[in-house]
Amino acid sequence: MATNMRGLTQFIADIRGARVRDLEEKRINKEMANIRKKFKDGNLDGYQKKKYVAKVLYTYILGYKVDVGHMEAVNLISSPKYSEKQIGYLAVTLLMHENSDFLRLVVNSIRKDLDENNEINNCLALHAIANVGGTEMAEALCEDVHRLLISPTSQSMVKKKAALTLLRLYRKHPDVIPAAEWALRIVAIMDDTDLGVVLCVTTLVMTLAQDHLDPYAVCYQKAVDRLHRLVVEHEYSATYAYYKVPSPWLQVKLLKLLQYYPPSDDPAIRSTLHQVLETIMNNSAEQTRNMQHNNAQRAVLFEAIGLAIHLDTNSPLVGTAAVLLARFISSKETNVRYLGLDTLAHLAARADSLEAIKTHQAHVILSLRDRDISVRRRALDLLYSMCDVDNSEIIVGELLQYLKVADYALREEMVLKIAVLTEKYASSYRWYVDTILELISAAGDHVGDEVWYRVVQIITNTEDLQAYAARVVFQRLKAPATHESLVKVGGYVLGEYGHLIANEDGHSPIEQLQVLHTKSQFCAAPTRALLLTTYIKWVNVFPEIKAQLINIFERYRHVLDSELQQRACEFYALASRPDDDELLQNVCEEIPPFPPRESALLSRLNKKHGATEDKRTWVHGGRDVNQDREVAKVKRDSTADKPINGATTTSTGASDVLASLQGLDLSGPSSTTGPAVSTTLTMLAKPTIAPHLAVGTNVDRWFEKLTYSDEGVLYEDVQIQVGIKSRYQGHIGQLAVYMGNKVSAPLTSFTTKVDVDDPEALSVTFAKMPATMVAPRSQSQQILHVECKKAFTTPPVITVSFLAGSHQTIALRLPVVLTKFIEPVILGASDFFERWKLIGGPPREAQGIFPVNLTSSGELDRERQQQVILGQKLSILPDVDPNPNNFVGAGVLHMSGDGKVGCLLRLEPNRDAKLCRITIRSTSEDVVGEVQRLIQKPLSVDAAS
Amino acid sequence: MIRSVIILNTSGVPRLTKFYSPIHQSAQAIVAKIYSLISIRSPGSCNFLEAPELDELLGREDANEKLRVVYRSYATLHFVFVVDSSESELGILDLIQVRTLAKVGFFVEALDRAFENVCELDLVFHFDEVHHILAEIIQGGLVLETNLDEIDSAIHQAASARKQSFASANPLTLGVGGMGPRSTGAQTPLGWLTGKLTGVGAR
Repeated sequence: MATNMRGLTQFIADIRGARVRDLEEKRINKEMANIRKKFKDGNLDGYQKKKYVAKVLYTYILGYKVDVGHMEAVNLISSPKYSEKQIGYLAVTLLMHENSDFLRLVVNSIRKDLDENNEINNCLALHAIANVGGTEMAEALCEDVHRLLISPTSQSMVKKKAALTLLRLYRKHPDVIPAAEWALRIVAIMDDTDLGVVLCVTTLVMTLAQDHLDPYAVCYQKAVDRLHRLVVEHEYSATYAYYKVPSPWLQVKLLKLLQYYPPSDDPAIRSTLHQVLETIMNNSAEQTRNMQHNNAQRAVLFEAIGLAIHLDTNSPLVGTAAVLLARFISSKETNVRYLGLDTLAHLAARADSLEAIKTHQAHVILSLRDRDISVRRRALDLLYSMCDVDNSEIIVGELLQYLKVADYALREEMVLKIAVLTEKYASSYRWYVDTILELISAAGDHVGDEVWYRVVQIITNTEDLQAYAARVVFQRLKAPATHESLVKVGGYVLGEYGHLIANEDGHSPIEQLQVLHTKSQFCAAPTRALLLTTYIKWVNVFPEIKAQLINIFERYRHVLDSELQQRACEFYALASRPDDDELLQNVCEEIPPFPPRESALLSRLNKKHGATEDKRTWVHGGRDVNQDREVAKVKRDSTADKPINGATTTSTGASDVLASLQGLDLSGPSSTTGPAVSTTLTMLAKPTIAPHLAVGTNVDRWFEKLTYSDEGVLYEDVQIQVGIKSRYQGHIGQLAVYMGNKVSAPLTSFTTKVDVDDPEALSVTFAKMPATMVAPRSQSQQILHVECKKAFTTPPVITVSFLAGSHQTIALRLPVVLTKFIEPVILGASDFFERWKLIGGPPREAQGIFPVNLTSSGELDRERQQQVILGQKLSILPDVDPNPNNFVGAGVLHMSGDGKVGCLLRLEPNRDAKLCRITIRSTSEDVVGEVQRLIQKPLSVDAAS
Repeated sequence: MIRSVIILNTSGVPRLTKFYSPIHQSAQAIVAKIYSLISIRSPGSCNFLEAPELDELLGREDANEKLRVVYRSYATLHFVFVVDSSESELGILDLIQVRTLAKVGFFVEALDRAFENVCELDLVFHFDEVHHILAEIIQGGLVLETNLDEIDSAIHQAASARKQSFASANPLTLGVGGMGPRSTGAQTPLGWLTGKLTGVGAR
């Protein structure tokens, strides 16, 4: 400990005692000189090194630059004494940064400490990596860190640190970490009994899952399960309750994690999650006087609302949330108002309808005048998000009014936002021009160039607007004090379109010139250059003031600014040419419409506060903005080079005011929305990495047996037994899967997951969330609901993974096959033959000949054949076939999508040839082959029995 | 992610500065900026503050990141966390929750447990210890542990390991029972402090 070092205590006391900064600096310089000398002389023992390094550290913490002690810190790390090691590590984490050359020297010491069997040293090493680890450390140490994380012998303390350290290394150098490969093992730790470990691992998973959604998909289930246990079942250790709220930090993380995934389709998960969210919202309805309790509860609540919005903006939960939020934004507590507005902005950014939010519009506008700038900022964001065509005039009007009194820190952003809103939701061109000009006069210095560029672009591209714009600009310019940006707009607009209004009273060319030219002397050179250009345009259209204009050029020819001078000379020459010369006319041809392009405003705004794809799941702005983001994301994701738009051209006919404005505005990503979104879908539908199926003759035999029986063993090894009981009726089935733990230790982090090849044809869902642990020598049961919609050939695969010492995964085919959905029917001989003939031959017939085994007595195994046929749910019709050895059967296959399909069977075994012929006829071509294959397989000689 | 943890007193002197990502300016400049941001705010204001001003000083890993300052004042100390948008504001506030307003505060409480009753001087004289405690709560900018008992036990474990290593290094240390009040100028009974920390007067 520092104070064990007398010299250090003295040093600190001295510095504290220093009355003025000069004295303090003097003392420090003296000490540093001393230390430098000591270090140079060398021969210091561990204690001295530690003491000096501690002094250096203290100096560093005071904010002084230090340049000594790095080497000594490196030495201290490898010291066998903990106190020295600790100071050494502290120095490394404080004095060095990830690119520091000294770090190469410590990698080996760190590895030694990681490998040591002493968790305190492990922790020091992990902490150091988590603070300064960079690319090199990631390469050298990520295996060691991962080992500490997953090792069953690691203590919780070590696991926690290892998880966060791994995260740091991943952030620094994602390539060295096989995130997908480690996925199941890492996700399994989310079931740890120690909530501290769960918190850290969840943080890690959150980052990894963002980049590897599919491999980490299991974490969705885990997170929901954990939330359910915390929130609904109150299953947590008392020390993790923070003011009676079960580990709010963990809840917040889990709720956030769930927002990275698209809403789950599994009804069991959905209902559990719904229950969790509902409980959280109900809990927060009761307010207590304890602020800490409220804080913790609200932290969770706000995240829960975020998730509810993410899941479905139309759900009743979101309705409840909106009510809660409305209460929050008028709360007395500043923090609550702040967060209420923030979350409401989230809602506004995602919701289909803004109606619910609009009812609070007045209040939000009031919040713009809150006494705290943080709240004002949030209110601004919210107004920006909730603006649409209906309320744009009110909101923009309010914003404009507020702009005049707003904080300087806010103004620039406000100006951009107002400009964007005005453009996006303009109800008429006139309103647009009025508002923007008002904005330019009101905000003055805070108006970036983008804003006035944009106005000019829109005026140029909209013919109807030009005369009006010229008139309004002219009026505004008449004001005694005008901002330079307005002069720029004025110069441009009057130059181009001044002639449109020249015949009106009070707008004559000479008046235009006077108004503009009186402003010129207050402007900077670039603006004056722009005005010169305006004048040359006027020379072309207003011959009556040519003399004055030439006079101006003449004077400008002698200014010092080279740019102005050059322009003036050129224009002077151009203007002095004879009147019938066409050059001037050609030069001053009217500006053609601008090609459509993305609004510079939006890109500026996005650059400003923008889209942190990996952190936030939404940005401010309306719903369409968020959709565009998705699209943009997909575009980036898909390597396919999609032509980016260009489809929207502006019709200068301007029949539809809004359309042309928006066309300019968003460069029409809407045209690509269709195909782009469908790519997302296909990407999502892509099956996860196929699990490796468990193999072995036994496994095949068990499976095959279950295809024609209702219950039995599906899998068994030394640790686990998986049994099945099933029941089918029509197209619906129910499967009970029994997981038996055969060892005397619990199987923890037990995860089951079912993958269906073609969800269109077959659906398999858990009745409720599976338990995450199987106690020693006991069984757990999971119920699966099965529904057959269409003919299918591939059975679903159940993946079972658990921790028993190490992490194990078993993937098994579930005995859910097409014939399970057949129900037997009894037919008389004549009925049977009638149908048999009606169906006819291929393609509605499938036939196969296969070898069969005889019983030990050399007879046909009739009993077994009968068992298989009945097990496949066909009836056996006696007295239909003249040959008593033959079997004839019938059944109806039920499918919810494709309806009922009849199946007829004829089985002709031949004892002498040891062969058997099977014929299936069915009313559906899709079904016939599969049924034949399924029945033939267990009968055939190479059946695994 | 938490970008930085800073404790400064009401006159703007930093008592703890910890940056979890490389900084682009001197630490002093950042502290001064933060001080100028929060010292003008009235006690009732929001504990969260958006700070675009800090972008340049702290450097942005991601061009789109928006930094927020979450702070809380406690007696003569401001506890300041600079976080990015991925952290829950209220969560961070809970993390630094302060004693004056509630029975148990968090970061402050952890300090309290270690020092029995935290005051600014403790932070001054035991800066290394403060860093160790912080390391048990936040690691590399991420929340490591929120259970006080766990934090406490981790700190104790480290402390006892340290004590052992002292004992082996210098058997006299334990017997001395503090260095005795040397500096008469200090405003605090140094003997009490040193005694506590050499292990004799401590729990």
